[in-house]
Amino acid sequence: MAKHETPLLDQLESGPWPSFVTDLKRQAETKPECWDILGQLELSYKERITHWKHGGIVGVFGYGGGIVGRYSDLPKRFPGVEHFHTVRVAQPASKYYSSKNLRQLMDLWEKYGSGMTNFHGSTGDIILLGTRTENLEPFFWDLTHDMGQDLGGSGSNLRTPANCIGQSRCEWSCYDTEECCHSLTLKYQDEIHRPAFPYKFKFKFSGCPNDCVAAIARSDIAVIGTWRDEIRIDQAAVKEYIAGNYPSNGGAHSGRDWGKFSIEKEVVDLCPTQCMWMEGGELKIDNTECTRCMHCINVMPRALRPGVDTGASICVGAKAPILDGAQFATLIVPFMKMSADNEFEELVEFIEKVWDWWMEIGKNRERVGETMQRLGLPHFLKVMEIEPIPQHVKEPRSNPYVFWREEEVEGGFERNVEEFRARHAA
Amino acid sequence: MALSKDELKAAILEKAEKSPKAQLYIKDFYACDPETKPRDMKNVANDLVKEGKLMFWSSGSTTMYALKSRIKNEEGAEGI
Repeated sequence: MAKHETPLLDQLESGPWPSFVTDLKRQAETKPECWDILGQLELSYKERITHWKHGGIVGVFGYGGGIVGRYSDLPKRFPGVEHFHTVRVAQPASKYYSSKNLRQLMDLWEKYGSGMTNFHGSTGDIILLGTRTENLEPFFWDLTHDMGQDLGGSGSNLRTPANCIGQSRCEWSCYDTEECCHSLTLKYQDEIHRPAFPYKFKFKFSGCPNDCVAAIARSDIAVIGTWRDEIRIDQAAVKEYIAGNYPSNGGAHSGRDWGKFSIEKEVVDLCPTQCMWMEGGELKIDNTECTRCMHCINVMPRALRPGVDTGASICVGAKAPILDGAQFATLIVPFMKMSADNEFEELVEFIEKVWDWWMEIGKNRERVGETMQRLGLPHFLKVMEIEPIPQHVKEPRSNPYVFWREEEVEGGFERNVEEFRARHAA
Repeated sequence: MALSKDELKAAILEKAEKSPKAQLYIKDFYACDPETKPRDMKNVANDLVKEGKLMFWSSGSTTMYALKSRIKNEEGAEGI
């Protein structure tokens, strides 16, 4: 039976969609603290102010992340949520679960927590919502010893690295995202579990430019698979698509009749760099103009595939809009070979150079992308010892970026311009 | 010349004790020894947490350091 009157929340159950209010009421039958979540939330709706206090000194011994303290500011009125800490559990690579693992995890959370979860947080972690301080250590012991699973990152730590399914199931993956993610997760255990930086820091690994883990939008260092040779074309399969014998997009849009497939309308005309054309019944691609947008490959997966000289593009500086506006990552290295044989040595060197600079120069609570924006791309490239190239500029012919340093200019910036113009008219 | 590890620990604890703010960012400790690299500074500060002399305070998105004696109570951090 309901412990609090919740007319405002009850109204949310009246829509045609699933309601978290209904879920919480159901959960409250076995976990009475959930009544107090509803009660406190109802009060917040009424008063239009939060009653959560977030942050604190809670954690498990030896770790400086993975637990986020949450407390009610009305503990006498809502004792069930006096402590309501969040636990971040590292997700399995590519989010491959077994039902056994999920059942174990849910049993553990029923035992030590509220049973409420959030699958998944934007970093990728499994978020377990609501437990008391005294339950943290026993939960952590069981999680690590009985299940072999670990906590994820929080605070000013390296956050739990995330990757797409990569070569485990996807033929487009240009490098082994799972191996790379696993290797760097092991290498940077200290940075994941203890604070290291001015603010949060995220890696994400996508196997191809489809970027299924949204690395370019959400990670400080995005490692996105690409290729530098030519898109592989099976001209016989192209003809099958044109004849309507193969469904476009792997049949993903087959729930509706879109009419006869048109390679001109659905592929050639939609190429963002207009680098494709039909000639003598064959599809031609000027690969030097291709920006690896993946559209043609997505539409005709049986006819087109990424090239064979594969690696990754490295982009830096994405973030969600917490303190400042959202921003995408900036391309810094267009192509890097990715190899587990050398433990991703080149990537590791790149990452640590970014960290060394950002830890020294970055302000408190400033993401690396904001530091780059504050000091400028030329500054960042100089720090990274990377020569400016056209790929660093969105529009090379119209963008007025100047990458020259004074020592590179004959006579420096203070030279006599009039004397120069006498020889070279503007 | 950079401070020794023990000298650095003492300087960090002194900073945490005397600072007007109870909770400090890792960057606040950089001034204890400008010659120590940020990653080494972080390692020494985290060692002090392991030794029980400093505590982490985390908002969930940011982590700060504090002396246990300067944190009011478990949840009563000063906020950021």
